[in-house]
Amino acid sequence: MGESKSDLLQGTLDMLILRTLQTGPMHGWGISQRIQQVSGDVLQVNQGSLYPSLHRLEQQGWIAAQWGVSDNNRRAKYYRLTKAGRRQLVEQIANWDRLSAAVARILQTA
Amino acid sequence: MRRARTAASAWAAVHCGWMRLRAMLRRRRLEEQLDQELRFHLEMATEQNLERGMGPEQARRAALRSFGGVAKIKEECRDSWGVQHADALRQDLRQGARGLLRNPGFTAVIGLTLALGIGANTAIFSLIHGVLLRSLPYGGGDRLVRLYQSSTQFEQFGFSVQEVQDYRELNRTLDELVEYHTMWFVLLGGEEPRRVQTGVVSANFFAVLGVRPLLGRTFLPHDEAPQAEAVLVLSHGFWVSGLGADPEVVGRRFEMNDRPHRVIGVLPPLPQYPDPNDVYMPTSACPFRSAPGLVANRAARLMSVFGRLKTHATVEQARTDLQQVSRQLQQAHAGFYPAGSGYTSTLEPLRDELVQGARPTFFMLLAAVGLVLLIACANVANLTLARLIRREHELALRSALGATRSRLVRQLLTESTLLALLGGVAGLLFAYIGLDLLVAFAARFTPRAAEIAIDGWVLLFSLVLSIGSGLAFGLAPALSARPDLRAALQESGGPALSGAGRLRLRRLLVVTQVTVAFVLLVAAGLLMRSLLELQQVDPGFQVERILTMRVDLNFTRYRGSALSREFHRHLLQQLESLPDALAVGAAGTFPLNEVTPGRGTYEVEGDPLGADAARPVADFQSVSPDYFRAIGVPIRRGRFFTDRDRPDAPAVAIVSSSLARRHWGDKDPIGRRIALDGGGAWVMVVGVVGDVRQYGLDQQAADGIYLPIFQAPLLATTYLVRSRVEPARLIAQIKEAVYQLDPTQPVDHFRTLEQVRHNALAPPRLTTLLLGLFAAVALALTAAGIAGVIAFSVSQRTREIGIRMALGATQGQVVTQELRRSMAPVLLGLGLGSAGAIAVSRLLAGLLYGIPPTDPTTYLLVALLIAAVATGAGLIPAYRLTAIDPLNALRRN
Repeated sequence: MGESKSDLLQGTLDMLILRTLQTGPMHGWGISQRIQQVSGDVLQVNQGSLYPSLHRLEQQGWIAAQWGVSDNNRRAKYYRLTKAGRRQLVEQIANWDRLSAAVARILQTA
Repeated sequence: MRRARTAASAWAAVHCGWMRLRAMLRRRRLEEQLDQELRFHLEMATEQNLERGMGPEQARRAALRSFGGVAKIKEECRDSWGVQHADALRQDLRQGARGLLRNPGFTAVIGLTLALGIGANTAIFSLIHGVLLRSLPYGGGDRLVRLYQSSTQFEQFGFSVQEVQDYRELNRTLDELVEYHTMWFVLLGGEEPRRVQTGVVSANFFAVLGVRPLLGRTFLPHDEAPQAEAVLVLSHGFWVSGLGADPEVVGRRFEMNDRPHRVIGVLPPLPQYPDPNDVYMPTSACPFRSAPGLVANRAARLMSVFGRLKTHATVEQARTDLQQVSRQLQQAHAGFYPAGSGYTSTLEPLRDELVQGARPTFFMLLAAVGLVLLIACANVANLTLARLIRREHELALRSALGATRSRLVRQLLTESTLLALLGGVAGLLFAYIGLDLLVAFAARFTPRAAEIAIDGWVLLFSLVLSIGSGLAFGLAPALSARPDLRAALQESGGPALSGAGRLRLRRLLVVTQVTVAFVLLVAAGLLMRSLLELQQVDPGFQVERILTMRVDLNFTRYRGSALSREFHRHLLQQLESLPDALAVGAAGTFPLNEVTPGRGTYEVEGDPLGADAARPVADFQSVSPDYFRAIGVPIRRGRFFTDRDRPDAPAVAIVSSSLARRHWGDKDPIGRRIALDGGGAWVMVVGVVGDVRQYGLDQQAADGIYLPIFQAPLLATTYLVRSRVEPARLIAQIKEAVYQLDPTQPVDHFRTLEQVRHNALAPPRLTTLLLGLFAAVALALTAAGIAGVIAFSVSQRTREIGIRMALGATQGQVVTQELRRSMAPVLLGLGLGSAGAIAVSRLLAGLLYGIPPTDPTTYLLVALLIAAVATGAGLIPAYRLTAIDPLNALRRN
């Protein structure tokens, strides 16, 4: 398992999770569905990384969890963005923009 | 910007800590919640699948499949909680214990190997802790010092009563000075007359040493007043063995030196220093010490002096202070401290003094057991590696189920630590069993031996050692555990790991083992050869069938030389008349005895040696006419003493060959004259006898001057009887003869000279035995290690060898090649070992006699021994090669 590769993927997943939660509290299943939907089924969220990511983000204090009741009346764990998470998201998006702009420039000119 | 980031990361750290704590406290709830969360996800996925038109069972399966390994996800989530460690430890312990129980053979072998290593270390540590590390068992013990005077001629000598008083008054760095000497007196009033070793001490002795009595009291200043009632303090040992631990003993009276002595106290069971005295009396009660002649004589330097450093004084300051006092004395009493004699005084901490003899030997043993443990650990690492190969499948499976690599390493380390603790417990048992032997061993070196015990510190030591060695030997195999998942799972049971790396590691272990074993064996071999040399030494006297005993005349009864002379003359006659006595001698002491002869300066007539400072020094001894015949010291020139060498006859002396050679070379010494201390009284040399090793078989003979017992009378006397028969059979008759002469005269301490010689060799013999034992263990473990490596290499290469045999290699070729290959690390180890041994054995030089630490014979023999054992150990697994059936070997993979 190469460290650097997983870091990049993880970072991206973290950003997507944070961005998804910006629209409001959501449970794990909801997050995975939403990402899939919004990306037009391009991105399949691997559950194997989703939940560890959620727990890690919670641990870092960027998201907070609360138990609530789902649409179909089941107990579910809802995650919401914290203040620190919002700041983190802004920073990550800025980073991402810089990175993708740079990549795009290379792709266009080179 | 930077500040904001710092603040954010600080906040993150605090938050993390809080989450961690919460997770730890709410462990179970978190687990339940995690379960619930994942179940919710699964249910939602299943529902979605149902909506898409799958059947219920199919929908569930599809959901599970898309989900991946639940256990692995959980594991990773838990990892983020940061409470993994405590929980994993419990699990590792459980799994470890299960694994060990599953392989009882493996567990037993490793446990035993480690028990040997840890047990030996624990035992030697208890020795070192009890003797060298712990503070003295006396109150304020570490500030106690012993004082010495010295000059160029005499390395160390004691103090006269006058000097004790001077030092007491003039020093500025010592709180109090204590005066001490020991004598043998006869104690009457028990069941039979008893010769008791008596510590004669100043009244502050016990107070300064910080010893509190078990019963009654110790001495007070008034006990030491000139006309005070004579009082005694009993040692614990004498109270128990001599008086049956009589609880009413305080107040009881005994007769000593023709006057009553009242017991005022009993000491607790402490190591006695400087001598194992039976009783103690104040200086005023000792007839010898209180004699006005001795008190006034500044040159009678017979007392030992101890002191306690003032609170802020250092040993260095006190030494400077004492030098200052000695200069003052030199100015005030020039006649007693001649200029140019190099007179000065100094002090040593009592603690160092007590263990001087023990330190080099003990540290050598500690180093040895450390090396044994190293070899044991290498072996265990080897065994663990081998076992790991067999467990590859299990490890790969656990890895597939979500165990991370660090988790696997942790589990392996837990297992080896568990094993090491097991070995530690067994080792403690070994150490406990061997403790009595160790104490007896240590008693040869230091009076502190009785303090050796397995206490909390020793337990802590072996605990730390166990955990340490568990980690040490577990680390190498654990770090090499890098299971290749796919390979391990696909071919169930096949060798999934590349063996090459492991084999390299194991060869490295063998190199280490051989190196260390070589060093240990060389050390043991050198000591052994040194012991053989010592046993070959001609001590200058004979030991066969010679009985020695002490006859210390009652100090007050035999006051005056005429009385003691008569007693000796009669007793010698009586003993000579025994039918089995071939020769009977009396002397102050005899060679190798703990009691050493007096040492002093002398002058040789016509020898222009002049100044006091340059006067030669020799041992002085009073001996009876037949002493030399009894102990078998040969006469070289002139004659032995005879009964006619009486006080009214001319004063005569016999000198040792070395002394005669020193002064007269090849010329005839007979008829020359020497003067003993003080000068004036000239004594004529009538004989020259052979040199004897007085102070130890490893010590060169000292110059000796012998005087006839009838001209230089003796009170504290040893008798020697050369016997026709087994010497012990004479004891009853000898006692009878003594009691006939004087019913109150004790005779005791019967030993044959053979026993004395045996005892003199005991320290080197026991040291050699111990080190030899450790070296043997090291060799055995190394052999096992080599056999293990070859067995491993064979099992790894069955296929290759099968091919080679199929292509026509003979069994002999295969075995030879395999052996040659495995001997490479052994040879490398031998090379490194000899370099190591040359470096290390220099430290042994002080313990060796008659051979240099680089003795090539020893090195060669050890190298051959290791090579032979290694070949033998390698042959067994190598021959398993011959059982390889090429067809089977090829088919297997």
